[in-house]
Amino acid sequence: MSGDHSDGAVARRVRRLETLLEEKGLLTGGELDETIDAFLSGASPASGARVVARAWTDPAYKARLLADGTAAVRELGFMEGAYQRLRVVENTETTHNVIVCTLCSCYPLRLLGPSPSWYKSEAYRSRVVREPRAVLAEFGLRLPDDTDITVWDSSAETRYMVLPRRPEGTETLTEEELAGLVTRYALIGTAAVQAVTTPAPSRSVPRPGRAAPPASPSPAPARSTD
Amino acid sequence: MSWVTDRFRPGTAVRTFPHDPPHHTRLPRYARGKRGVVVEPEGPAELADVSAQGRGDAPVEQIYAVRFEARDLWGEGDHHVVLDLWESYLAEVPDDER
Amino acid sequence: MARINDVGGTEGFGAIDTTDDAEPFHADWEARVVGLYNALRAQGIFNTNEFRDAIESMPPVEYLSASYYERWFTAICALLERKGVLEPGELGD
Repeated sequence: MSGDHSDGAVARRVRRLETLLEEKGLLTGGELDETIDAFLSGASPASGARVVARAWTDPAYKARLLADGTAAVRELGFMEGAYQRLRVVENTETTHNVIVCTLCSCYPLRLLGPSPSWYKSEAYRSRVVREPRAVLAEFGLRLPDDTDITVWDSSAETRYMVLPRRPEGTETLTEEELAGLVTRYALIGTAAVQAVTTPAPSRSVPRPGRAAPPASPSPAPARSTD
Repeated sequence: MSWVTDRFRPGTAVRTFPHDPPHHTRLPRYARGKRGVVVEPEGPAELADVSAQGRGDAPVEQIYAVRFEARDLWGEGDHHVVLDLWESYLAEVPDDER
Repeated sequence: MARINDVGGTEGFGAIDTTDDAEPFHADWEARVVGLYNALRAQGIFNTNEFRDAIESMPPVEYLSASYYERWFTAICALLERKGVLEPGELGD
């Protein structure tokens, strides 16, 4: 992130571009707010967590999810109208999956919302395809030596999501309670799901006025480069 | 949609092209000229290399998930990497080179 | 020539800051840039591949020193000039 001074400079340039485009008739007042709202509404890690909890509790749904992720998440009302394909990859006792986009920042944001900053960082993108075990250890995830790791580098039109392993000791939990255990790190593959939730370390950031988190769980067609 | 190519069955041994093109591409350099195995077709899309030039004549090709062994990419390692690659990035490996 | 965005396997980027920044944007202008991208792409002024190409075409030093959404803004401005929507220099510094 740039310092305050250059941040102010780029903010002014963005504002100036908006004004120029409005003068040229390419933007109308309020249009940006609408596209930003569409970008942020609906899609969030909670959507992915709901998909995972359903797969954990309904074997037939899980089979459909692994066979055709796009169709299966649409059953739950997610990713409607998306042109991209979703592929869900399953972690097992012997295999672990982790997602990256080494060329840019492709991510299933139509389902999970915007990605974490580290997902877009050169450090993550450069290293996870080369030394996934070391990278996962940096996230605190230490896998047995004989676990077969597959790194999915999203280089075209498919977006990937990990189906994490259901933790032991969760047999009595409801689907909703199970969903509450699933973090977006687990959906990317940089964490396992724990039976008890522990708050992730959080950075204090200013919340911009127009960038409020989605209030409604209903998915909306957000356009983005994901 | 125009005619779509679909040459490679799952399990086909392929080699990625070694080209270093003077334009946008979605074949990362770490996977150029490397051997992999087709996992599955993913569905067709306009070739990004041409579409990125703002041209309206981008061919529509099949995209394949291709699985690589880490040691074929990096000379070491025991993991796998899967990339999504347009058909024209790939050539079948002849039987006598497998 | 491989471009600066093509970092898979490149050494030297160091440790990963694994902090979970749950807020999608760190400043309001970042959200405005995403809005601009969505609006202009929806109008067909450029496509996703042209946009990625514009980001990758940044000089490497600029690419690496720019934040994520600064890259987006740079690419949008470059495409608007290339498409004749903006005159060179019209936006100013």
